[in-house]
Amino acid sequence: MENFSNLNGVNDKILKIKQLLLELETEAKRFPALSRNAKRALASIKMLELNISDIVTFDLTDGGA
Amino acid sequence: MMNYQEYWNPVLETMPLEKLKVFQFKKFKRILNWAYTHSKFHKALYDTAGLTPDDIRSFDDIKKIPKVEKSMMREIQNKDPFPYGDALCVPLEEVSTFRQTSGTTGQPVYQPDTWQDWEWWSECWSFILWAQGYRPKDRVFIPFGYNIFVAFWAGHYAAEKLGCEVVPGGVLDTQSRILKIKELNATAMMATPTYVLRMADVAKNKMGIEPSELSINKITCAGEPGASIPSTKKRMEDAWGAKVYDHSGATEIGAWSYECRNQRCGMHVNEAMFLVEIEDIDTGEIIEEAGRKGKMVITALDRVAQPCIRFDSKDVIEWDSEPCSCGRTFRLIKGGVIGRADDITKVKGVLLSPAAIEEVVRSINGLGDEFEVIVDKQGDVDRIKLKVELMPDVTKLSVENFLKDQLRLKTNLGYLIEYYDYGSLPRYEVKAKRFKDLRKKF
Repeated sequence: MENFSNLNGVNDKILKIKQLLLELETEAKRFPALSRNAKRALASIKMLELNISDIVTFDLTDGGA
Repeated sequence: MMNYQEYWNPVLETMPLEKLKVFQFKKFKRILNWAYTHSKFHKALYDTAGLTPDDIRSFDDIKKIPKVEKSMMREIQNKDPFPYGDALCVPLEEVSTFRQTSGTTGQPVYQPDTWQDWEWWSECWSFILWAQGYRPKDRVFIPFGYNIFVAFWAGHYAAEKLGCEVVPGGVLDTQSRILKIKELNATAMMATPTYVLRMADVAKNKMGIEPSELSINKITCAGEPGASIPSTKKRMEDAWGAKVYDHSGATEIGAWSYECRNQRCGMHVNEAMFLVEIEDIDTGEIIEEAGRKGKMVITALDRVAQPCIRFDSKDVIEWDSEPCSCGRTFRLIKGGVIGRADDITKVKGVLLSPAAIEEVVRSINGLGDEFEVIVDKQGDVDRIKLKVELMPDVTKLSVENFLKDQLRLKTNLGYLIEYYDYGSLPRYEVKAKRFKDLRKKF
């Protein structure tokens, strides 16, 4: 991460966390403490997406655009 | 060599401008598509203009998208779902926070936010606070009334996110707040310029406490342009012995610009989260070059509950010609927000900005912080009355000529000046109302 060259790898990790949280949120509809905290965590994950994933998705890493 | 520790997001904040433009365009398309498919208001607006998101194929096409005026947002609120109306893009149960505008320019506008939007608010503020040197070791005192106005709420949450310790100075009175800052050795503070000066005045003149001897070393301002007006910034910095930084934001937009530690007398636009266009006030032409003033049209690129797309903010700004030496590629607006298109009014045929009068009054040591400007008519002729306070032991004679000359020099206008004893003009706790144009009543 020192020279920010591995944004793709960081993005992979963000997407994995997001996927796990989405599963938790949908699997636990009758378990508010689980589903609502998962939903709240997803809002924070969105900030990681805005900071990192968008750069990768829009192909704007050092090799892109 | 660039010091990456200076940036909240070192990749976005130093992204070459060309790439940043691509980034903004792709995000613009995304939020436009979201609004078109989720908000009746936006769909009708774009359908009426004969446009769909697919018609926006290049950055230049963005200006085809109709602007949204504040008055339109007021009308929307009369429609379902209550109380927000049909610009709402999410089910009501997804809305987690209510805020409203202060109503300075008319009926307040209600602002719904989801929890994701609220995270986004504090993310925008995190760019600001990190750039201004807030770090986990800071103890941040926030002396504002936590209520329906967004003010420093997101600053509070952002400071927490950064790892700072936050002290909410909610319903305490001014003296109690000063005592709390002293008791806790708070290192940073957020307030309007009016209140920063008011607190210093109360500390010094009512409590015998010298604010510059307190532990505050940085102050973030909002709500008024004062922290970008050199003489007001100097007064605040001298009074508190602290660095004073400006930032600009609005309830229906978000926190969109900030001054960095270089204090270049300008603010960086957060171009990763917002798209700022400057439009010629008379012709509507988009101004790309530096040095030409216009009004801001702004898009919040990631706000989902009630999108802000090409919002006509009426803030008057201009691009700076020079990049900032901090290394950020986010462009600077010169001198911050210069005024509002509806405040900058013609008097005797000359454009008058209240900020220009503030710059003159606050640059004269013999005058107090407070002043009032009243524009009215004497017969058919416009008249500007300026009320100022003389500091104790200062005579009218010692400041009068200099004040008149400076006003004439900076504003090209003559004034009827009234002098008052120190402490006799109204004091304000949040935003001040120092400019009154009474000509509309004639």
